[in-house]
Amino acid sequence: MSPPAGTTPAGEEPPDDIEYADPGLARERTELAWTRTAIAFAALGAALLKSHPVVGLLILVLSAVVWRLGRLSGTAVAGDVRERRLLLITVSTVGVSLVALVLSFLGPGIVSLR
Amino acid sequence: MTDQPGGEDPATTSTDGDGTEPDARYTFANERTFLAWSRTSLALVVGGLAIAQLLPPFPGIPWGRHVIGTPLILLGCAVSVISYLEWKASQRALRHGQPLPRSRLPQILAIAIAVIGLIAAVLALLSAVGVP
Repeated sequence: MSPPAGTTPAGEEPPDDIEYADPGLARERTELAWTRTAIAFAALGAALLKSHPVVGLLILVLSAVVWRLGRLSGTAVAGDVRERRLLLITVSTVGVSLVALVLSFLGPGIVSLR
Repeated sequence: MTDQPGGEDPATTSTDGDGTEPDARYTFANERTFLAWSRTSLALVVGGLAIAQLLPPFPGIPWGRHVIGTPLILLGCAVSVISYLEWKASQRALRHGQPLPRSRLPQILAIAIAVIGLIAAVLALLSAVGVP
């Protein structure tokens, strides 16, 4: 969804927009998006749990934090708080990718299907 | 949480930053776009790690898996950072009532995946014909 910014100031939306009648839908969809993101982290953590218990557990804890942030995403907060929450996602993903880079070079069979 | 009719309940207070607080729905939509790109970058990282660790080595090209996996992981890292920067730029544009900046992520993602796909095809062919 890409809002046509600059052409539609707040309060001038077409009334046939379903979210005009029920603005809670945008809030709910955003909470669901946070939940999907938390599940993505949880899946990665669970996949690593067997071969790298510490790394897997850390990522599972991270997914719990993301899930909790998702429950809070609909409430009114200052903009910089919102920004810090999103920054947490980016920092986490960069950290996870660095860990993945190290693990991918730790030789074959570290993560095994056995 | 306030619940005014007409979708004007603020997702954020209007005291922070410059510009004016945009419609809460635009703030939410911008946030969902960022989250969708974040999941994309996580999928790239997971895919790269799985290729490097789970894929059987190419016959004769033992380093081949890393040639595919490492760029995928780095791409995921880059997508994550760029999506945050673009979220910030979009939020700034919304606050000032300016047109949204065009996202460069689709182009970056398409080109990078095409190149990685070509590399994978070359590796698969090389290992099939038995080049060292």
